[in-house]
Amino acid sequence: MERTYITKGKFARVLMLFAVVLLPWLIAIFWVNKVSLEQKPVTVNIINYKADSLPSPVDHSAYEILQQDFTTPQQVTEACLSCHNKTGHDIMHTSHWKWSRPYVNENGDTVELGKKNIINNFCVGTDSNEPRCTSCHIGYGWKDKDFDFKAEMNIDCIICHDQTGTYKKFPVAAGYPVKEEKVFNGKKFLPPDYNKVAQNVGMPKRENCGSCHYYGGGGNNVKHGDIEKVLTNTTKEVDIHMGVDGENMSCTACHASDRHDIQGQLYSVSSYNQNRTTCEQCHTETPHENTIINQHANRVACQTCHIPTYAKAAPTKMTWDWSTAGRHNEDGSVTVEKDSNGVMTYHGKKGTFEWAKNVTPEYTWFNGNAEHYLIGDKVEDTTVPVQINTLLGDYGDLEAKIIPVKVHRGKQIYDPVNKTLIIPHLFGKDSTAYWKNFDWNKASITGMEAAGLPYSGEYSFVNTEMYWPLNHMVSSREESLKCIDCHSRDGRLDNLAGFYMPGRDRSVILDTIGVLFIILAFVGVVVHGALRYFSSSKK
Amino acid sequence: MKKRTYIYRRFERFWHWSQVLLIFFLALTGFEIHSTYELFGFENAVNWHNIAAWAFLVLITFTIFWHFDSGEWKQYIPTTKYIMAQINYYIIGIFKGAPHPTHKTVYNKFNPLQRFTYLGLKLLVIPVQVVTGFLYMYYMYPENPIHLGGIEITALIHTFGAFVLIAFVIFHVYLTTTGETVLTSIKAMLTGWEVVDVDEEEEHVEHLKSAVKYSIAGYYRLDKNGNFLDVNEAWLKMYKCSDREQIIGKHYSVARREEDVKALDTIVSKVFEGEIIKAIPATRKCRDGSIGKHILSANPTYAGGDVTGMEGFIIDITDLDDESEHLHYAVKNSKAGYYRLNHKGYYEDVNDAWLKLYGFERDEIIGQHYSLSRTKEDLHKLDEMIAKVTSGKSISNMIATRKCKDGSTGKHIVSANPVYDKDVVVGMEGFILDIDSIKDEV
Repeated sequence: MERTYITKGKFARVLMLFAVVLLPWLIAIFWVNKVSLEQKPVTVNIINYKADSLPSPVDHSAYEILQQDFTTPQQVTEACLSCHNKTGHDIMHTSHWKWSRPYVNENGDTVELGKKNIINNFCVGTDSNEPRCTSCHIGYGWKDKDFDFKAEMNIDCIICHDQTGTYKKFPVAAGYPVKEEKVFNGKKFLPPDYNKVAQNVGMPKRENCGSCHYYGGGGNNVKHGDIEKVLTNTTKEVDIHMGVDGENMSCTACHASDRHDIQGQLYSVSSYNQNRTTCEQCHTETPHENTIINQHANRVACQTCHIPTYAKAAPTKMTWDWSTAGRHNEDGSVTVEKDSNGVMTYHGKKGTFEWAKNVTPEYTWFNGNAEHYLIGDKVEDTTVPVQINTLLGDYGDLEAKIIPVKVHRGKQIYDPVNKTLIIPHLFGKDSTAYWKNFDWNKASITGMEAAGLPYSGEYSFVNTEMYWPLNHMVSSREESLKCIDCHSRDGRLDNLAGFYMPGRDRSVILDTIGVLFIILAFVGVVVHGALRYFSSSKK
Repeated sequence: MKKRTYIYRRFERFWHWSQVLLIFFLALTGFEIHSTYELFGFENAVNWHNIAAWAFLVLITFTIFWHFDSGEWKQYIPTTKYIMAQINYYIIGIFKGAPHPTHKTVYNKFNPLQRFTYLGLKLLVIPVQVVTGFLYMYYMYPENPIHLGGIEITALIHTFGAFVLIAFVIFHVYLTTTGETVLTSIKAMLTGWEVVDVDEEEEHVEHLKSAVKYSIAGYYRLDKNGNFLDVNEAWLKMYKCSDREQIIGKHYSVARREEDVKALDTIVSKVFEGEIIKAIPATRKCRDGSIGKHILSANPTYAGGDVTGMEGFIIDITDLDDESEHLHYAVKNSKAGYYRLNHKGYYEDVNDAWLKLYGFERDEIIGQHYSLSRTKEDLHKLDEMIAKVTSGKSISNMIATRKCKDGSTGKHIVSANPVYDKDVVVGMEGFILDIDSIKDEV
């Protein structure tokens, strides 16, 4: 039945066998290399961003009503609203105006939550400190809790729409610009030329958004870590979208607005899982050529791989310890310490800080919903840091993805009897403000009274943590994370528990058994072989 | 008895060595994915591991078919017979130079330990690796339709399987050195050829089995009631049946015209009484109603001394003319003569039966021209026949008149086919069957 083999062709046949076995491999290797090397440039459908960035089609300087001599900012607003006569109504519903968004709590009740009533671990809370905080409000005169949120005349239109770059709010004037020349922290503030500003309005530029958003926490890049003044004029190394040598996109290219309701929010203070700005709105859900990487998007947010580091230009604040505040120099002035780079590490009014640049994010699960420490909430366990905000979700939650976050760690004032965090009265010229009198007790009494909460008269300091999801300073593809950054024993996702990840996880017991198994097999055959060799050579 | 034998067929070797490369490469990339070392880079390791997995799946699919098509799956049926002897051999005997306790033959390539191990790989380890591997590939996220709740269990099983396979490879490679020489087994797996034992009885049984299966002679078996139990392909072809099911379980009378059934009844009853029918001509009725002729043999089948049925062979003679009905007498007498001519027409070899028919001594005919064996009048017929055969044709049967040594003549049926050496016809050979003496008897 079998064909008789001709001895002569045997070697050729063996060669042929190996050619048949090896050829598919060579093709496969070639194919894999080709695919991984020849990645096509990703084409993105950019929504309208060029149109959004164009100069206004209207020449506002031609309008007579804008040619008057304005003496107050409210007069400018009045002029704006005389034409844009529904816009005031629209503004009243935005979080930029309200500093809150509707939030459905555990009981199913809808409450308003936001900057106005949520505690953070920077300057803690707005209650009793309004004139300082509300220098970033899009209004005029929110100096205490009696501010009239229905007064359209108090909307500050020009902080967002000024195209001249000359209009500035004064940092401690409840949202007003100065009336005469003033200096704050060595910086000169001039009264605005309302006439010129009013005639030069248009779509918000980076500087407009940045005038508040760069400086959250009282200085450049203090809060976010991924949003700071470098973004006004940056390169694609810092931000692939905003780099002027790259896509050169404005803030509003992604953060589009619908009747002044601007898309996107940050979960440091927000909990509103709607109207979010996503990468997918331009890039689709499957932007990669590699299916496995696309599948990762099921559980891994784009930002996780594409924001390998943040605070790429200026440092961001990582810790803030209020408990050390209050030190003065011998001459009675407030103590200020800076490191060799000129970064402030201590301030007598505020305490001790740590800053960092090119920071590696921490990672957490997030399903789009967040919980917050609400004023008055009891802190039961002070041995672990109080969670100022909690990003919800875990591996078992199918909506949750892994996201990169900046975790800001604070040590802030706390009422050990009532077990609540304290909103201290920091800012003011009165006799209780901490920054004037350096008495925590008085500051707490005033602050908690303004917040409508009891204060026991005792205070201490507790550790707190606040989570800031990172969305900006996206890197180029080349600088994005590689598989090995997470799929390795001590990779970036080392702290995320509850699931098995190839390359990171293993069963030590199983691996030990397996390796022992192999060693035993190897030793076994070596010993057996040696015994065979010696027993045969004896004969 | 030992004999150099073709033991691993071409596909088997292709499969084996492809599997070697694939398992090696899967382990190499797999343990990189396990973060045991860095080699290709994690992304490449994953991509290549997946490609290799698909290649392995394709190979396995082909190999499954090959196992059943070739019947080689039977080699893996586990047995405990000699298993202790085999273990003893590896632990003790091998050091004393004791002979292998089991013998490798074409039909029993594996010792009992190999049978268990390989079957374990085929039915347990590799299927587990394939299943967990594809779950790993497609169900790593809990969103998938089959909610695995993560891949931890899958991944751990897959990893364990990898350890088992590596340990297997270590033992396997080592045990290849326990053959006749250190490299004997590996050489055999490369070339297919190895010197193995030949078990005469096994050889005989296996050849008979395939002889029946592939024979051009039709085989049949009836039960005690005269219903068909089994037939082979040739039988189905002769009866123009397309499917075995068309005949199995039917009574033999369907195979005859009405007028011929009686004759068969007689034969069957004789056989059931223990008689053996060597060869008788018969006329069959095919499935489509057409008629064919064949020669039939029949013998009883026994179980524990009792006749349980009958079986036998049929050889088609439909295409022979009437005259060749004599063929069966020739077969019966079986005094077939054999001859071989070289390409110039000179006798190279003949057998005793041939010599007897012609009346020559061997020395008198070897080296002589074929014209010696014919009368002048008949010689041209033989010339024609030889011309046909040298051009590559075979002649199965033809009536011929021979001229014997003493000048007398006789009739026989002659068959002839070319003899090849590397595609070149170097001669012709065949048989002659005497039909002269039978005629006389008749």
